[in-house]
Amino acid sequence: MLGMTKRTFLALAASSALVAAAPAFAQDDGEIVMGGSLPLTGVFGFAGVAIEAGIQDYLKILNEDGGIAGRKVRLAYEDTGYQVDQSVAVFNKLTSQNRNIHLYYGDSTAFSRTINPELQRRGDILMAGASFATEINDPQNFASQFIAGPDYTEMFSILLEYIAREKPGAKLVFVNSDTEFGRDPIESSTARAKELGLEVVEQIITPPGAVDVSTEVLKLRRARPDYAIFHGYILAPLPEFMTQAKQLGLETKFMGTFWSMDSSIWDSVGEVADGFMGVMPYRYYYDEEEAPMLKRIREMRPTYQTTGYMQGFLTAMLMGEAARRTLDAGKELTSQNMKAALNSIEDFDTGGIVGVPISIPGNTVPVGRIYQYDAAAKQMKPVSDWISLKE
Amino acid sequence: MSDLLFFVEVSLAGLGSGALLSLTALAFVLIYKATRVINLAVGEILMMGGYFFLAFAAGWGLSPWLAIPAAIAGGALIGAVVERGIIRRMLGESPISVFMVTVGLGSVLVGIVELVWGTDPRTLPDFMGTAPVFIGEAYVSRKIAISFAVAGLVIAVFLALFRFWRGGVALRATATDQAAAYSCGINVPGVFSLAWTIGCGTAAGAGVLLGSIGGIAPTMGAFGLSALVVVIVGGLDSVAGALVAGLAIGLVEAWTGTYLGGEYKLVFTFGILILMLMIRPYGLFGTKEIERL
Repeated sequence: MLGMTKRTFLALAASSALVAAAPAFAQDDGEIVMGGSLPLTGVFGFAGVAIEAGIQDYLKILNEDGGIAGRKVRLAYEDTGYQVDQSVAVFNKLTSQNRNIHLYYGDSTAFSRTINPELQRRGDILMAGASFATEINDPQNFASQFIAGPDYTEMFSILLEYIAREKPGAKLVFVNSDTEFGRDPIESSTARAKELGLEVVEQIITPPGAVDVSTEVLKLRRARPDYAIFHGYILAPLPEFMTQAKQLGLETKFMGTFWSMDSSIWDSVGEVADGFMGVMPYRYYYDEEEAPMLKRIREMRPTYQTTGYMQGFLTAMLMGEAARRTLDAGKELTSQNMKAALNSIEDFDTGGIVGVPISIPGNTVPVGRIYQYDAAAKQMKPVSDWISLKE
Repeated sequence: MSDLLFFVEVSLAGLGSGALLSLTALAFVLIYKATRVINLAVGEILMMGGYFFLAFAAGWGLSPWLAIPAAIAGGALIGAVVERGIIRRMLGESPISVFMVTVGLGSVLVGIVELVWGTDPRTLPDFMGTAPVFIGEAYVSRKIAISFAVAGLVIAVFLALFRFWRGGVALRATATDQAAAYSCGINVPGVFSLAWTIGCGTAAGAGVLLGSIGGIAPTMGAFGLSALVVVIVGGLDSVAGALVAGLAIGLVEAWTGTYLGGEYKLVFTFGILILMLMIRPYGLFGTKEIERL
C-alpha cells in the first residue's frame, strides 16, 4: 500500500479517528445540547429560518438566566432541505457528535414518524418539531415526542367551536391539499362538525402544488358555504380562491390553520386578504396585550418575527422546562423522565406567548385563538377569546 | 345553476388552465425543436420570470406593463447565457449529460432565488384587474381568461413565425438536419442561441402569468413537470402539439377534479402520459423518432 507498513497505516487510522472524534471529546460535560434537523431551505425554508431564530433567542434568554440547573443549553443543527432522508442523516450525525444531546427539534411529520423507533430505542431524547400531525398526539406510540400547540384535528376543533358559537348550524366546506399534511384532519373534523350541529356540504381536494383553482372555485360556488376551512397550504391557492369568490359575490368566510396564519405572507396579497381568519396557538409579535416575554422578544428583535419564530421559541421553552423539572427532581435526562416532567406542566405561564396558562396533559397543548387579518393594519387581530379544548 | 351551465364553466376553466400548460410546454418545444435538448430547468426559468416581475414591479416600482417585458427579457437573458456559456460547450456530449446539466441548472436557480428573495411565498402586484368575465351566462376567472388569450396569441405567433419568418425556417432546417443546415449557410450555433433565448423568454412570460394567479415561491418550478407531460403527449418538437395537448390535459384535469375529486387529477394526467408512451411514444404530433438514452 504505497510503501506504507501495516503498523503505520493503523497508527494513521487511529489518529484520524481521534481527530474526527475531537469535537465530541471537546464538549463541556455540563452543557445540554438541543439537536435540530431544521428545514432552512426548500419548500419549508420560510418557516425553518424563523424557527431557528426563535429557538436561539429562547436559549439565549435561558442561558443568560443561568441555564437549566446551572447547565447551559446549546442548539446544534443542520439544514435538511425538508427532505426526510437528510433529516435522519442530520439526526445521526448530531447524535454521534454530541454526547449530551437530550432535546431535539424535527422538521416534519415524516421525520417524526421515521425517527420515532430510534428515539424509543435510545430513550434519552425528548423531541418536538414543526409537525402538528394528529398521529403524533399519541402518548403511547409517540412517547418521546410532543407538539408545542394543538394538533391539526384540535386546530379544526377550535375553528369549529368558534363557528358553532358565531353561526349555529353553519354550512361548511373543507378545502384540503392532497398531501399527508392536507388530509390529516378531514375525517375526524367532519365527525366533530356533526357533533357541533354544523353541516359539511362539500370537501374539495386540490392536487399538491395546484396553482389554478378555477374549477374548485366553481364547486365552492355551488355549495355556497358560510365558512370554507383550508388546510394543507401556506398561501397559494388561498388568495386566488378568495379573489374569485369575491368576483362571484360569495359571502363565504375563509379560514385556515397555523401555517397559513403568518400575517407577513398576507401583506402582499392586499385587500383580498381582508377578513381571512384562522386558528393561532400563540400570540403575534405585535399583540398589545400584556406579555413580558413578547416585550423581551421585541427588545431583542425590533422587527416583526413570524409565527414560525413563536413556534420555535415556545418549543424551546417547553423543552427547557421539561429538562429543568427533571433535573430539579434529581432524575436523569431520559425521554421517560422528561416526558413525565412535561406532562406535569399545569397552568404554566409562558410569559404571554400563549395568552392563557397552559397545561400539557398528553402530547399537545390544546389551546388556540381565532385571529382575523386586517388588511389596512396589515396585522392579524384577535376575534375570539382563547379556546381550550380540555375545558 | 343548471348542470349544463356548470359543465360549461368547468370546461372553460379547464381550457384556461390548459392554455397555461401549453404556454409552458412551448418553452420545452422551442428548445428541443432546435437543439434536441430537453431543458428540465424550464420550470425554474418560469419561476425566475415570476421573481423578475416581482423585482421590477414591486421592488423597483416599475409599471407592470414595463415589468412584464423586463421579466421576459430577464428569462431570455438567462437562456442566452446558459446556451452560450454551458450548453454550447457540451455540443457532442451524450444527451444524458446535457439533460443532467439542465437538472443542475434548475437547482442552481432555486438556490439563487432562495438567497436573493428568501423562501417565503409571495404575491405578485395585480395587473389584470378583478372584474369577473362572463361568456354568456358562464363565469370564467378573469386571470384564466387573460392567460388563455395570451397563450393562444403567443402560440399562433410562433406557428406563423415557423412558417414564414426566415429565422423560423432556419430553426426548422436546423432541427431537421444540422449538417445540411450548415451547408446551406445557416448559422447553426446562432439558431441554438436564438432557440434558448426565445424559449426561456417564453417560460419567463408564463411565469408572470402563473405567478399572478397562484403567487410565487421557490417551489413553483414544479409546474414545469406538468408541462413536460403536455410536451410528451403533444410531441416534443410540435408547437401545435403543445397547444392541443395542453388544452386536452387542462380539460381532463378539470373534469376529473370536478366530478371525481382533486385527488384523481394527477392519476388521470399521468395515466394519459403512460398510455401515450405505450401507444405513440413520439406524441400526438411529434416526429416519429425515438432516441434511447
